[in-house]
Amino acid sequence: MNPLAAAQTIVGGLKSAGINLVATLPDINLETLLHEVESDRDIVHVPLCREEEGIGICAGAYLVGKKCAAIMQNGGFFNSNNAIVSTLLQYQIPLLLLIYYAGDIGDRTFSTTGSLTEPVLQALGIRAYIMRDPDDAQELIRRAQILTEDSKRPVALLLTKEALGRRAQLKSL
Amino acid sequence: MAQDALVVSSAGAVTLEWHALRPSDGNFRVRTLGLCSSIALGMALGLPHRKIIALDGDGSLLMNLCSLPTIARMKPKNLIHIVFDNEVYEASGSKKTATGAGADLVGLARAAGIGNAHWANSLEEFEKVIRSAVSENELCFIGAKTSTDRVDVPPYPIDEVENKYRFIRHVEKTEGIEILKSNLPASYN
Repeated sequence: MNPLAAAQTIVGGLKSAGINLVATLPDINLETLLHEVESDRDIVHVPLCREEEGIGICAGAYLVGKKCAAIMQNGGFFNSNNAIVSTLLQYQIPLLLLIYYAGDIGDRTFSTTGSLTEPVLQALGIRAYIMRDPDDAQELIRRAQILTEDSKRPVALLLTKEALGRRAQLKSL
Repeated sequence: MAQDALVVSSAGAVTLEWHALRPSDGNFRVRTLGLCSSIALGMALGLPHRKIIALDGDGSLLMNLCSLPTIARMKPKNLIHIVFDNEVYEASGSKKTATGAGADLVGLARAAGIGNAHWANSLEEFEKVIRSAVSENELCFIGAKTSTDRVDVPPYPIDEVENKYRFIRHVEKTEGIEILKSNLPASYN
């Protein structure tokens, strides 16, 4: 799948899961996905200056009936941690986090960020699933949305370059 | 319109004072310093026909200054962002904030792109700008310098989770919508 097809599949998955507000901050690997989010008329798109404000925006929108997702790089997930803890977890507010997994195996940059991403998610008690195949996107997003709504905690999907259609897939990963 | 406004108040004394003035399930107390303006923006985008009022503080807004350009970019017409600026972190020992050293929050709001941003320099002026903000359908930022005097108000009576449920139920009731649906299928599968 190429980046455009992967992005369209992911946005289709978000819409099937009922998501209608998406807060985002760019990473070069998210470029096509964010373009698809931005050009979708059914989704309120909120471009952020810093990811932590996006956690607040999504929490506020949830409280008045929106279904939200936040799309960011894992560095942005680290930027968001205080809001995740003292707003999402403290108030038991669900949120679907779509996190680009920088520093994944084979990435030239951000290996430190990559190595700490899963341990921090685990420490916060945020259940996380790695999406490597864009063919899984629709089903994974649907399941993750059910989980976040039922558990009333954020749930993270870690999107690798393969999931975004930007690298050949390896069966052994 | 002001009566049924949803009100988001910042971490700090402003929440307790507001609760004493207008106890309502339509009040939402923020615990993350800085997030008041962002949570209010999310509500304003989610319910574009309902007035949303953010009661922010200088220490809070200074921590999340980037919410100003984001609010300016989204331009929600139903959002009134009020900042009570007492120039100290009052709830945390009254150390001076950057506004006490000259930072101008209304100037920052304007520079971020919120043209309708004003200082209210007296109680009369405050009342005037609030009245016009409530009646108009336009994004508005209001700064008000306040004293650090404390008033004797009761503690906040509910915890965060109860605040969440009461707030959502209040929105459901007043908007006639369903937000919290039962997640259980008729037969478990």
